[in-house]
Amino acid sequence: MTKEWLKIIIAAAFEVVWVIGLKHADDVLSWIVTIIAIVISFYALIAAGKYLPVGTVYAVFVGLGTAGTVLSEILFFDEPVDIVKLLLIGTLLIGVIGLKLVTSNEEKKQEVEG
Amino acid sequence: MAWIWLVLAGLFEMTGVIMINQLHRRRDIWSALGLAAGFGLSFVCLALAMRTLPMGTAYAVWTGIGASGGAIVGILWFKESADWRRILFIIIILVSTVGLKLVS
Repeated sequence: MTKEWLKIIIAAAFEVVWVIGLKHADDVLSWIVTIIAIVISFYALIAAGKYLPVGTVYAVFVGLGTAGTVLSEILFFDEPVDIVKLLLIGTLLIGVIGLKLVTSNEEKKQEVEG
Repeated sequence: MAWIWLVLAGLFEMTGVIMINQLHRRRDIWSALGLAAGFGLSFVCLALAMRTLPMGTAYAVWTGIGASGGAIVGILWFKESADWRRILFIIIILVSTVGLKLVS
């Protein structure tokens, strides 16, 4: 079980790498790194979903990915800290995580009923 | 213009996710090609949006459109449950997205 959660953390870490790549890559090498990060990130995400509920996996993944990208742009790329923007990203995140968790519960219910 | 690229990126992401479901059901080459094209175009549009938009904002909105759009398509076309909690979270995502558009 711990191994599966580790896969989600790896998926989220590579997610942040490719998001940074999409914005900042400017030569062949950095684009290759970006594409490799996309592949690793999705592969780890799908692998984690095999043994854990997909809705939960996706919710944790999105939470880590969003926090990681917002933090890294503030820490490494000197993006100004805008409280209103951070709050709105927070509520958006609540929406996505909530939606994924509610949907995964429904899938389980349908499986039991079906 | 950046916001148009971002919305397009979200829509292509949804297309990719729908194709994943198709691939599970049909296992044909067209679903696989649709999947690759959907995600490929989505990443290109996201990169274009990020030329002017901050990375964290663009990523959050991209994810939000993918998640809420996927749920809306599921409810409208695939007869998924229109539970009030799902509707509420979709509204929260859309309101936050519009808010981010207004402050950026």
